[in-house]
Amino acid sequence: MIKIRKRLADTGFGVLALVVFAVAAFPVYWMVSTSFLPNNRIRGENLAFFPTPDVFTLDNYRTAMFNARAPFPPAVLNSISVTFLTLVIALVVGFVAALALTRFQFKGRRTFIVLILVVQMIPGEAMIISMYRIIDGWQLLNTIIGLTLVYAAGVLPFTIWTLRGFVNGVPKELEEAAMIDGCSPAGAFWRVTFPLLAPGLVATGVFAFIQAWNEFVTALVIMQRPDAMTLTLWLRTFLQATQATNWGAVMAGSVLIAIPAVVFFLIVQGRMTGGLVSGAVKG
Amino acid sequence: MNRNRLVGAAASAITLTLALSACGNAGGAATAEETGPGEVRVWLVGTDTPPEARDYLKKTFEEQNEGSTLVIEEQAWDGLVDKYTTALAGSDAPDVVEIGNTQAAAFTEAGYFREITGDEFESLGGDDLLPGFVEAGDWEGKHYALPYYSGSRVVFYSEQVLGDTEVPTTLDEYVETAVDLKTDDLSGVYWPGQDWYNALPFIWENGGYVAEQAEDGTWDAGFSSEGGLAGLEQIQTIMTEGNNAPADAQETDLQVPFCEGKVAFLSAPSWIQWSINAPEEPEEPEGVPGCASTYGKDLEGMALPGKDGGAAQVFAGGSNIAIAQKSARPDLAMSAYEILLSDEYQTILAGNGLIPAKTSLFEQVDQETSIGKAAVEAAANAKLTPASPKWADVESKMLLQSAFTKIASGDDVKAVAEQLDADIEEILNS
Amino acid sequence: MSSTLLDPPAPPRQLIRQKRRRSYLPWLLLSATMVILGVMTGYPVVRLLVMSFQEYERAQLMGVPAEWVGFDNYAAVLTDVEGFWTVFARSFALMIVLVVITMVLGMLVALLMIRVGKRMRLLMSVGLLLAWAMPTLAATTVWGWVFDTQYGVVNNLLTAITGDRWFGYSWLINPLSFFVILTCIVVWGAVPFVAFTLYAGLTQVPEEVMEAAQLDGASAFQRFRLIQVPYVRGIITVLVVLSMIWDLKVFTQVFVLQDIGGDRELTNTIGVYIYQTGMAQGHYGMASAIGVIFVVVMLTIAYPYVRRTLREDEQ
Repeated sequence: MIKIRKRLADTGFGVLALVVFAVAAFPVYWMVSTSFLPNNRIRGENLAFFPTPDVFTLDNYRTAMFNARAPFPPAVLNSISVTFLTLVIALVVGFVAALALTRFQFKGRRTFIVLILVVQMIPGEAMIISMYRIIDGWQLLNTIIGLTLVYAAGVLPFTIWTLRGFVNGVPKELEEAAMIDGCSPAGAFWRVTFPLLAPGLVATGVFAFIQAWNEFVTALVIMQRPDAMTLTLWLRTFLQATQATNWGAVMAGSVLIAIPAVVFFLIVQGRMTGGLVSGAVKG
Repeated sequence: MNRNRLVGAAASAITLTLALSACGNAGGAATAEETGPGEVRVWLVGTDTPPEARDYLKKTFEEQNEGSTLVIEEQAWDGLVDKYTTALAGSDAPDVVEIGNTQAAAFTEAGYFREITGDEFESLGGDDLLPGFVEAGDWEGKHYALPYYSGSRVVFYSEQVLGDTEVPTTLDEYVETAVDLKTDDLSGVYWPGQDWYNALPFIWENGGYVAEQAEDGTWDAGFSSEGGLAGLEQIQTIMTEGNNAPADAQETDLQVPFCEGKVAFLSAPSWIQWSINAPEEPEEPEGVPGCASTYGKDLEGMALPGKDGGAAQVFAGGSNIAIAQKSARPDLAMSAYEILLSDEYQTILAGNGLIPAKTSLFEQVDQETSIGKAAVEAAANAKLTPASPKWADVESKMLLQSAFTKIASGDDVKAVAEQLDADIEEILNS
Repeated sequence: MSSTLLDPPAPPRQLIRQKRRRSYLPWLLLSATMVILGVMTGYPVVRLLVMSFQEYERAQLMGVPAEWVGFDNYAAVLTDVEGFWTVFARSFALMIVLVVITMVLGMLVALLMIRVGKRMRLLMSVGLLLAWAMPTLAATTVWGWVFDTQYGVVNNLLTAITGDRWFGYSWLINPLSFFVILTCIVVWGAVPFVAFTLYAGLTQVPEEVMEAAQLDGASAFQRFRLIQVPYVRGIITVLVVLSMIWDLKVFTQVFVLQDIGGDRELTNTIGVYIYQTGMAQGHYGMASAIGVIFVVVMLTIAYPYVRRTLREDEQ
């Protein structure tokens, strides 16, 4: 009796898990499916739910990638460069700052921590104009460096805040033990603590990535030349140029900007969950 | 033209090193005149300017200014004001920009555009330029943005869809026909709810007004006036009983439902004919599919019929064009500007169904077709939105889109009109 | 993120004293941060404050000197019931709904992940990962397409199922259903992070404790309430605070969805409202004042959390 009930429950939960999967994945599926369908099969009553070989087409991708109005190749390059640079700056600078805030006691430390927290509450939309004037003043409009600076400043507070938690999570005693064994303080940190922080860095990096890859309002203002567009701007331009006429191509465009993000997530996935766990460990 | 040649000759005489430094010219340096070859960026909005005109502009400019290049960067109408606000104020500003005629005031007022002096104005066309549009680009008696083209709305239809239905000759008939024709699969008049441009003729024809200025300078909005309400009632009848378009949709890509044969009458800018008459399978990746072989084949146009027959007073849509105050090369920008307003260039626009910026070129509009004829007829009777610099705020707040969306959803006309009037007056009188 | 509340005990006193001697070192480590934040955030914040007391419009962007207007902008904003306060209340209501749904669903999904077998868990992870990795703009576009008035799959399916004609039914025009769809988009994108984090926390609950409780006759709900929740309480707090900040600031989804359909005036949230006041209408002074007011309110809400974090930091 109990066994049967348990099996029933197992099946029930299994079904629930399937439902969660389906709900989470459906929009992604629908995007991919639409992107491979010709226009006459994605609208109206004659809807195709799966790109079977007889209707399968790559035309939407051709439209998306070789559109003169919204050039795709420079956008990919810009997005990857900006995201990569933001990621590196945020992690390196943020990590060093997190160290200072956790491993040292000094005057002004608390103020600094509060500031880092407060800064995150300012709505970015209110600061666009000032940001624009700074970047303009430095002649960095339409440049990758200009946008990277804005993004780096945007993600740094959160990066520091999070990394601070991770560094705190690594017991100080480990380092001290290494120091007793003859390591210098820096050496002890580098050999003992740093490897333990890798998952934390990955988890934090994911956020920097999401921010930089997804952002578009600041980019809208700072990257105004067609060849300076990032992928989000590209998709938006493309959306405006073809809205409602060509959902297939718009979906193809969406797939194209989602692919690098998904690949990135898949690469870091294992470590990321590890990072979340280690972040969750009771101190 | 002489002026251009001079500039061109001067240009070729300067060395390349100077040209390179031109690219890095700092912001706000509109006064620091430079010479020599350089790059001019022209921002055209949407697909209204036909490819033929773009090619002519680029080719002619580069012939006249040896060594210089002209780049056309296409912008979207959506969010245009937001973009110009920052882009034109920065050091990397474009040189020549197209702007919607009703949006121009927001920028002329704030000093975004370079002044067109009296002499320049005369040589660019002077009184020949469309007066209403010139006024739209003026500020405190000076010219900043001149007319680029006008495009009044034309009512399109295809006999394949219409069958033996009589084409309406008065506005009341137009409303009736729309309601009669409507089925689940056919819009009598296809009218997306946010399209307020098409609503204005109904207000005007019924004796209403958008906003009028009293002698003491205060503005009075007139959607809730007697004529305004009568017009709104007619609009609501069409929108709810003669139309399948979504109440919150924008007036973009109108050729799509038309090409599906789901539209009897479509009131749209005249250049939509090219989208409808495009091939089903566009060759270029950026091409938009049309229906040249079906509903495009027997496409006809007429001016929106007025209350008592004839052409209705319609909204004079269109664009102005200006030189950015922060253009790094005002000399080259002016050279491009002269081409844009030249008779040759404007004739190309006229040949493509747009109303040219100069009255003397009206006859260049192809009047062989009913569409061209309708376009000229409509333009002759076209009106503008209230001449207040604050009007741009009414538009950027999307007040009209919002109000007509409500009317399309069947809300009480009087309540919507009163609220709209109050909102408009608050902005215009602030 | 999840670790912030779970700081380890502070180092012994003599260690602190030892560190104090090298007080230039922490500032050296912080220097890069201070430069970046000082220039790219500090300066704009000062400008924000200054502009909020000025009449700053498009002309000022072109170099016309700005006029000081004292608290005029604040007065105008705070007395604008139809505009500011409505948007403000709407944003808050939306935030609460979003946070509650995200947290509840996230917790349920996390519990389910613990309960099911390895294969099902992998499947769930893949689905959640896909949703999480989807760029916001792309995700909103896709959802807009799913609910498209004329050709959306939802209207298509409803027509097929009910037999009524749903083509042409606009989901975005009614503010309520606009916000239902907006909630779907935001929650869909936010649940994965919450679920993964909670799951990671829940796996730390020792197996023996749960088993012992089960032997003692505790029901599943009791075990959840008395053992699992206390174990991840710290994580929950952090997640709630983060979600509150993120959901109040939600921008992209609203902005893009408004492009697709709906009535802007009835669907603005605070971020979009600031953007429209500033960027679209050119009232930068006003937009700055709204931004300042917004930060003040946020700080008031977050104050208990800030104080608690600091207290823990001090111990």
